[in-house]
Amino acid sequence: MNIERLTNWFRHLPTHIVLILLCALWLVPTLGLLVTSLRPVQAVNVTGWWTVLSPPIGSSEYAQQCSTCHGEEGDAIPDADLTDPEVVGDYPRSTQLLAMLEKEIDGQPHLEDNPLPDAQQAANIAVYLKRISGIDAPPRFTANNYIDALMGYRGKRTYLEDCATGEQALDLNCNISDLLNPRGMGRAMLNSLLVTIPATILPILFAAFAAYSFAWLDFRGRQFLFALLVGLQVVPLQMTLIPISRLYAQLGLNGTFWGVWLFHTGFGMPYAIYLMRNFLGSLPRDLFESAYLDGASHWTAFTRLAIPLATPAIASLAIFQFLWVWNDLLVALVFLGGTTPVLTYQISNMVTSLGAGWHLLTAAAFLSFLLPMIVFFALQRFFVRGMLAGAVKG
Amino acid sequence: MAETVVPKIMKQGKVTPWLYLAPALIVMTIFIVYPMFNTIGLSLRDKSGTASAAVTCSEDGPCWGIFENYRYALTDEIDPSSPATIWQSFWASSYGNNIKWILLMVTGTVGLGLLVALLSDRVRYEALAKALIFMPMAISFVGAGVIWKFVYDYGTQQVQIGLLNSILTGLGGKPVAWLSTPGLNTLALILVGVWIWTGFCMTILSAALKSVPSEIIEASRVDGASEWRIFWQILVPIIMPTIVVVITTMVINVLKVFDIVYVMTGGNYGSEVIANRMYTEMYKNFHSGRGTAVAVVLIVAIVPFMIINIRRFREQEAMR
Amino acid sequence: MVKAKRRWVILSVMIIALFLLVACGGGATPVATGDSDIDCMSAQAGDEVTMLYQWSGNEEEMLNEILQPLVDACGIVLKPESTRDQALLDTRVQAGTPPDIAFWNVTQLQQYQDKLVPVDQLGVNTANYADFWKETGSVDGKWLGLAIKADPKTIIWYSPANFEVDGYTVPTTWDELDALVEQMVADGKVPWSMGLESGDATGWTGSDFIQDILLVKQGPDYVLGIMDGSVPYNDAGVKEAYEIYGKWAADETYAVGGADGTLSTAFLDAIYKPFSDPPEAMMVKQSGFAGSEIAKQFPDLEYGQDYDFFGVPGAQGLQGGSDWMMAFSDKPAVKAIFAYISSDVGGQKWAEIGFNLTPNKAGTNSYTDPILLKNAQILAETQGFTPDIGDTIPGGFGSAEWKAIVDYLNGADLDTVLAEAAQVQAEALAE
Repeated sequence: MNIERLTNWFRHLPTHIVLILLCALWLVPTLGLLVTSLRPVQAVNVTGWWTVLSPPIGSSEYAQQCSTCHGEEGDAIPDADLTDPEVVGDYPRSTQLLAMLEKEIDGQPHLEDNPLPDAQQAANIAVYLKRISGIDAPPRFTANNYIDALMGYRGKRTYLEDCATGEQALDLNCNISDLLNPRGMGRAMLNSLLVTIPATILPILFAAFAAYSFAWLDFRGRQFLFALLVGLQVVPLQMTLIPISRLYAQLGLNGTFWGVWLFHTGFGMPYAIYLMRNFLGSLPRDLFESAYLDGASHWTAFTRLAIPLATPAIASLAIFQFLWVWNDLLVALVFLGGTTPVLTYQISNMVTSLGAGWHLLTAAAFLSFLLPMIVFFALQRFFVRGMLAGAVKG
Repeated sequence: MAETVVPKIMKQGKVTPWLYLAPALIVMTIFIVYPMFNTIGLSLRDKSGTASAAVTCSEDGPCWGIFENYRYALTDEIDPSSPATIWQSFWASSYGNNIKWILLMVTGTVGLGLLVALLSDRVRYEALAKALIFMPMAISFVGAGVIWKFVYDYGTQQVQIGLLNSILTGLGGKPVAWLSTPGLNTLALILVGVWIWTGFCMTILSAALKSVPSEIIEASRVDGASEWRIFWQILVPIIMPTIVVVITTMVINVLKVFDIVYVMTGGNYGSEVIANRMYTEMYKNFHSGRGTAVAVVLIVAIVPFMIINIRRFREQEAMR
Repeated sequence: MVKAKRRWVILSVMIIALFLLVACGGGATPVATGDSDIDCMSAQAGDEVTMLYQWSGNEEEMLNEILQPLVDACGIVLKPESTRDQALLDTRVQAGTPPDIAFWNVTQLQQYQDKLVPVDQLGVNTANYADFWKETGSVDGKWLGLAIKADPKTIIWYSPANFEVDGYTVPTTWDELDALVEQMVADGKVPWSMGLESGDATGWTGSDFIQDILLVKQGPDYVLGIMDGSVPYNDAGVKEAYEIYGKWAADETYAVGGADGTLSTAFLDAIYKPFSDPPEAMMVKQSGFAGSEIAKQFPDLEYGQDYDFFGVPGAQGLQGGSDWMMAFSDKPAVKAIFAYISSDVGGQKWAEIGFNLTPNKAGTNSYTDPILLKNAQILAETQGFTPDIGDTIPGGFGSAEWKAIVDYLNGADLDTVLAEAAQVQAEALAE
């Protein structure tokens, strides 16, 4: 029995290898983002994220060139204690370090028979010395990036350090209210929710009405109109921005939540109608017939029969629309702009602005995935079901 | 035909269907239909939108009169000096790039999606594997741009913080400027697209595979058919309609591709696609006439695929 | 079933509460405290001004600090928005809902000339501005934009410490610079750090470099000629400048990483390379803002000793980036901001905070940052200030110029790319 299972497993080995390899390939880029977001700023630009667990920069050069005399900890020679910041402080860079190494000690070369390190090695050793002397010893992992991103900190140190010394910027108060700082991801997340929730509910509601009409009511040109509405998916979103913006200006909707909600409702409509119509149309006909024989009106059939039965389609549509609106940049950029920044807007602003580092950006990006990931993994089942209803339902 | 779906017994007023349709029709008219006509109108005008496009014709060059913007949209990127340059410049233009996107991204996503769907069907960690492949669908394009920066980054120092170049230099090669080398960058961007969209294709194809009756497959196994033959001669023909839908849907998606390029290269270094060109003309060069002409060309390119999709839907309806 | 219903009720109550929270969280109206040197132009406490600018992060904070005295004195409420996306400004203006004040490039003065309020109607203290600022900010004789920030670009950053180690001296003529570059190459050093990558604006550092070469080889009149169209962009002088630039930028013995390095290095990363340990290059040509970037990236380096700059040797006149303040409204609060920025107090405050240089003469002696002080002197002594070519010609010439540089470095034929850019130049200026 066991042997059979084993041979069976071996027969499937190529399957496992290919599949696991593909999954790994798919995961690696996101993993890189997560790791980077947890690294201190000093490390992000200097070493790849995959080296996060390897020994610190310069440790191998130090072990090779210095540890025999100075000891592995650096404090073997009391007159030249490399853990003393004052001693190391004189040699912050490779130029100073190399100049010192070239000098002889008691008539002997500093490094005895060893050749002088090259510039890169010397630079690495200098970095390592700063680490062991405590001048600059960044930790392997830090949560500061997330705090700074949430609070909208843009200074040269970290939010916590600035607040500890009381040198925070004008727009920071160093208390919980900073979570609502308009430049921070905390506030942006709230704005994103405010945009996303109504922009998810409205189109589903409208689409449900329309889909019911298409599925269970009879009128001239039903098929044609349906094809036409669904066909409107061809219109690219980018070209509608200016006409709609002009319209909004007359209605005073620019920069308001209503503007964004309605825009997303309009653009979510073709797909939502398509999916809902598909789902409602596939419900058993007898159900509606018997309801109607019992004297139910269309309104009753819609609210009591169609909507409850369509819950799976509604759920999946909700997830789709949620992700779409949550991840949208252009519409939020043009119709909400910077007064009510959403997550994607904040991130793209950080990408293009001078000097916002990758450490902050990765943390911000990861924060923005958090909710969609939760929604997606929690409701995966519905998500998939809805997609199928949209594409292969027969 | 499909009209018979509605039970005859369900009587209704003449207005009722339209009441149910009204909210959807209103928002769609405002947000999609009106801008579409506006676009078509603007595409026949000059950059300020006040005069006919014909006024922008240059005296010595070719002129298409009121369709001048279309001449620009269709031919400006093409170098007509010889057949060879016509082909070369076309292949490097935004149209050529879009064709590359369609060819590679559609085959990539559908092929890999089918592969994962087939393989994951046979293992016990199916749900996990599918979730991992699907995950990028939940990530914003802006976020994806940040993620892939750490894959494609090009460093001039010995240390590479981009994964690909780190592997290359680790193997003794020279680092490659993935995103700024024309031609190569389009491939790099398509890879990101495949990463995002494979999960979509996989899910649909996987469901189609699961709906194939297992008796058919078992019967052919008993007959001694190889797995390869079962796949090509039994499975593929059965799920062919689904494959067609997935392909047309992907073609529509890819024709409209914008965000990946916008976020990762800004359309620079010859990586521009049609939607980017439209955006650049409208918002960087402030030439609404040319921008909208490009948009109309894009819509015209999408329409045939949309028709295929809708037609198939109606066939399904008719079968019901 | 009942339980599920209750859950929905709780959820909806929470969502509604959330909405109310945000809707009401506007913040208290600040109270005017009154500063006698600041003229509020009869703006009332609580008056709102919408502003749109490209600055974010540190830069945005500096602007906040500069405007703070005005806010304290008059109680006006600033509603700023920050974006680098010009599409946002353009859709707003086209839609008829522009911001009250936009801080953007000089091209926008021309682009929106019909919609802007002339500066002299806004209570500006004109005496504080040199004539060339008024001229550059005028369209058809109407002064439409106030130069608010200037950043000389015709400078080169280097490390005095590294120069000393290798025995190099700062060049004073173009020929000396040329010789120095060749000397560095002969010594096995890489002279230049270059980086063109800048997202949507990729290529601008190259256009800065080429414009400086033009200022050296041809002079400011030639550059102004390109801007008004009398010199076509595919003129021999422009071609020569491209060739000089290309010789350096595309060769890995002259610029870090050669063409690939220049094309794919982000402009910020390029600033760091001459100052990293060990240095990857000897010099980088970049505007004044590079100083604060170096200070941020390498907190242990000292200005004057580890990093410093010199003017591009032989350049006739100065090229500079400048930001322009333009008003789409003439309401009192807008006037208050224009009056404050152009006043003596405003100029001094600007210089004190050190948000690059202020064109306001009152600021000249108030800089505390030695880099800005040195730059301010360079600016004060210049024979003329030419704005960026790409910023000045409307209608997408800027991006055409960037594209020409990028394509050229990517191996395209120089005559072809220049001819294409010249065509855009002609089309843009024909209107």
